[in-house]
Amino acid sequence: MSPGFSHLIETIPSSGIRRFFDLVASSKDVISLGVGEPDFPTPWPAREEAISSIEQGLTSYTSNSGLIECRRAIAAYIEERFGATYGPEKEIIITNGVSEGVDITLRTLLNPGDEVIVPEPNYVCYAPLIQLAGGKVVAIDTSQTGFLPNKQAIKSAITAKTKAIILCSPNNPTGQVIPKKILKDIADLAENHDFWVIADEIYAELSYDEPFVSFAALEGTFPRTILMNGFSKAFAMTGWRLGYLCAPQEFIARALKIHQYSALCAPIMAQYAAIQALQGMKVVQDMRRSYEMRRNLFVGRLNEMGLDTAMPKGAFYCFPSIQKTGLSSEEFALKLLEKARVAVVPGSVFGLGGEGYVRCCYATHIDLLKEALTRISNFLKKR
Amino acid sequence: MTKLNKKEKELVHLLKENARLSSEDLGQMVGLPSSKVQSLIQSWQKDGIILKHTTLFNEEKLESTHDTIRALIEVSIRPEKKTGFDAIARRICKHPNVIDHYLISGNYDFLIIVEGKSLQEISSFVSNTLASIENVRSTGTHFILKKYKENGIALGTEEMENRILVSA
Repeated sequence: MSPGFSHLIETIPSSGIRRFFDLVASSKDVISLGVGEPDFPTPWPAREEAISSIEQGLTSYTSNSGLIECRRAIAAYIEERFGATYGPEKEIIITNGVSEGVDITLRTLLNPGDEVIVPEPNYVCYAPLIQLAGGKVVAIDTSQTGFLPNKQAIKSAITAKTKAIILCSPNNPTGQVIPKKILKDIADLAENHDFWVIADEIYAELSYDEPFVSFAALEGTFPRTILMNGFSKAFAMTGWRLGYLCAPQEFIARALKIHQYSALCAPIMAQYAAIQALQGMKVVQDMRRSYEMRRNLFVGRLNEMGLDTAMPKGAFYCFPSIQKTGLSSEEFALKLLEKARVAVVPGSVFGLGGEGYVRCCYATHIDLLKEALTRISNFLKKR
Repeated sequence: MTKLNKKEKELVHLLKENARLSSEDLGQMVGLPSSKVQSLIQSWQKDGIILKHTTLFNEEKLESTHDTIRALIEVSIRPEKKTGFDAIARRICKHPNVIDHYLISGNYDFLIIVEGKSLQEISSFVSNTLASIENVRSTGTHFILKKYKENGIALGTEEMENRILVSA
């Protein structure tokens, strides 16, 4: 017998993605559309910068909030790209990926019993991290509204305990992007009902059909917005673990207390690499166009074979409906893996409204995507 | 010279990467009807813009081609009246050992890449064929010992094979 564990941790279910991963890892000859990261290695200039920083012996801690040069480069980038203005000195913390940013944000904001509105399907980390921070998840099902949160649904979820809403746009897993009109509605609601807006914009650069509108760039949103972004997706730097939080100073000063004790700082070599990465926007554009072209082919073919799939407007996921097959999303994913050797992620792991859908990532070599399409098509015909 | 619009440039880029994409694939990717892609490719073939579709091998993994040897040869030329470098270049690049042939700036004039079955074959090409051409002033031969990158593709190095199969 061990001395036991936190009661809170026992209430957190293990990740649905994790269970599915174990199954996929033990199967052979599988084409995985279940990945959640770019298929490009980090562009070479950023890698070289990290190597050079190591050669120079720049291997120390940095200030808790990150190298000031890196924060300046980030501030200049988000101002230029998204029109949101943050001071590098006191309004930005460099975190170990957006994941850490979500965690410390929630712990900075929540009191026991505080409610956080989460439009779902949504990225898998929000609900557990809200619970771990002592909050309560109030999920909204967006599956009937084009996978976009709408004003009415949010309004009816607001209570006296509402402390924040979390938006992930472009969205993992649906690929949908919240349009400016809805962002403005959310900004109004947040102001009228006095809650925070946590805007996870990690896929902001991967917005295909229209220029991306950042929540943080909307007029009047600054005082109650926490903007999160990072290098993983657009700059193909997942393994470097580098994200950032931008918010008013009163928030940053408090979040820094958690970050300094639990993480201390983000890795210095990753920060030097990031400064260099921000100089290379051409390669970001090339990668974006490459995903976009694969999206066009992959989603086009899924629809042609009868899997209704809304055209995703961003990120590198699509979210086909498998309702016609009469299978649950988990059954579909398991059968597809077993019979067709293609791995997708059951939509049910992404919360309310995900049942009946599966997530496919098209950041995979075009030849493999085509082979996967053939396998899926044969699988559907045989049923 | 044919001027290409944005989508046509993308088609060229995609075909250079992967000649096996069908016109349906290409059309869907860049947003053109497949019939349009087909007619573009046909006209590029007709106009000699597309010369041929080949396959790029990693020769180091093929036993049968292990016995070929490549060399870079620097050639200094005395340009001829009227034809300059071009007439000499035409004579040189017709030779089957010549894989690539460039006129370059700098200390010498031509850079030629030649392939042969042995050191002897290449040195015989240099001394008997190349150096004996009138107006070839001098040559310098560099045998290739190892290939690291060819046609923009780094050989035998990185692929994103280590991505975890299912992740959030």
